Amino acid sequence: MNGMDPALKPRLRRRSTFEYVAWVVCTLVGLGILISVATNPNFKWEVVAKYFTHESILRGLMLTIFLTVASMALGTLLGLVLAIMRASSVKPIAAAAGVYITLFRGTPVLVQLIFWFNIAALYPNLTIGIPFTNIGTAVDVNALMGPITAALIGLTLNEAAYMAEIIRGGFSSVGKGQIEAADSLGMSGAMKMRKVIIPQAMPSIIPATGNQVIGMFKETSLVSVLGVAELLQSAQLIYARTYETIPLLIVASAWYLVMTLLLSYPQSKLEQKYSRTTSRLPRNAKPVVLTDPEGAAR
Amino acid sequence: MSTDGTIVALKIRKSFGPKTVLKDINLDIASGEICCIIGPSGSGKSTVLRCINGLETVDSGVLKVNGEDFGYYETDDAYHALPPKKLAEQRTRVGMVFQQFNLFPNMTANENIMSGPVLVKGQDKKQAIERAHELLASVGLAGFGDYYPAQLSGGQQQRVAIARSLAMDPEIMLFDEPTSALDPEKVGEVLAVMKELAKKGMTMVVVTHEMGFAREVADSLVFMDDGYIVERGDAREVLSNPKEPRTQAFLEQVL
Repeated sequence: MNGMDPALKPRLRRRSTFEYVAWVVCTLVGLGILISVATNPNFKWEVVAKYFTHESILRGLMLTIFLTVASMALGTLLGLVLAIMRASSVKPIAAAAGVYITLFRGTPVLVQLIFWFNIAALYPNLTIGIPFTNIGTAVDVNALMGPITAALIGLTLNEAAYMAEIIRGGFSSVGKGQIEAADSLGMSGAMKMRKVIIPQAMPSIIPATGNQVIGMFKETSLVSVLGVAELLQSAQLIYARTYETIPLLIVASAWYLVMTLLLSYPQSKLEQKYSRTTSRLPRNAKPVVLTDPEGAAR
Repeated sequence: MSTDGTIVALKIRKSFGPKTVLKDINLDIASGEICCIIGPSGSGKSTVLRCINGLETVDSGVLKVNGEDFGYYETDDAYHALPPKKLAEQRTRVGMVFQQFNLFPNMTANENIMSGPVLVKGQDKKQAIERAHELLASVGLAGFGDYYPAQLSGGQQQRVAIARSLAMDPEIMLFDEPTSALDPEKVGEVLAVMKELAKKGMTMVVVTHEMGFAREVADSLVFMDDGYIVERGDAREVLSNPKEPRTQAFLEQVL
């Protein structure tokens, strides 16, 4: 009618009635929640603001970060050992790793943490030395197993079981043909693992590990039951005095949220980088230059 | 290490669970012989090849590769499995080329070719890279050393895989349907490399569906069916004048 070229007319997306209704309902509900949160004096936002950068909260945050990094690093290392053991052709080795993984994945972390904290009930004195001789020193387990040690051990041993499964999954994503090719060249087991299996398993292991880091960051809040003054416990210690429970839980939650958001950006980058389609080529691959007929004929 | 290049198989049996894939395999391949194995799928051709390379172990029978019992040592009353180091050493003397190439995707063409000599034999890197360049040139891929497998076509990848096997200086080369995963127009370039190799006196055992290659290059032809070697003879003779009815039936279908 108006003489517009039909070939240039934009093609418009169809919006369903449902879409309009959804917009209205979600906006109304969202606004309602926002107004309620902002106007309800019981949230005590000024208290939240006051404690957000409180010294003991920040110290708790640091401890949370330390626990996350340390237990992830140690757990990944131990998980790698377990995964290699699990893949062993020597039955007892594979079975031992299997039992470990089953035990630690099959029981709650919280229970494990409390268990390690009370390990002295089982072994009050630990003797480190050479068996069947008198050489060695006895250690008082109760003194050794402080809350932070117990937290670190509990989180690490638990994480190792999960990392072992992730790494094992990565190993099994490497094609059988790759292993056969390595075998036919006469590579030893360790060489095969280092040069063929692990490099190729990385693309599936790394993003999953990133997810574990984010999970671990929140999981550390469990060690508050041992009295470790990490982020949550630091908040709890304050509201035990001031009875400002909700505002301090908001402070702790806000920090957890900030940290997980900060971590999820590199995580999504990692996932993109190692996604199936892009992982075929190493980063430093030279671009193909089509100079000869052989190369051009692809 | 003696240069030998012979393969002897006597009454070889091999089962996967309840399924017996090799029932009574007797084979005698001379040094420098080019032997093609043909047969319907599931006849056990690939399994024979994989046994010669130790990717599968035989259940019973005698298997001598390069004049030695392969993977086992013999005593008065049994064959005992060799330690992994010994087995690996025997394997380095037998090259294997796979249907799916199986190049290491995390290594360049050069690194793939050098992986055997450097990682397994502990060869000097400088020497190994020189050799890699020579080998790449010999399979018609000079200058492709820095490319990763994903940057190469199927035919090019298979030629790199052949170079990788050759880098170990094996006495015997095994090819497991080397052209089956290739686009039709890439088959020729791989077969050309194999023909060149055949001229150099390497012992080659090739499982293939390329009857043209068998006719042109092979000294001997083995037709397998249902875990048995049904017919064996001069390649051109068997192809043009098969004696066994099962060979006749198979060739009628594929030619």
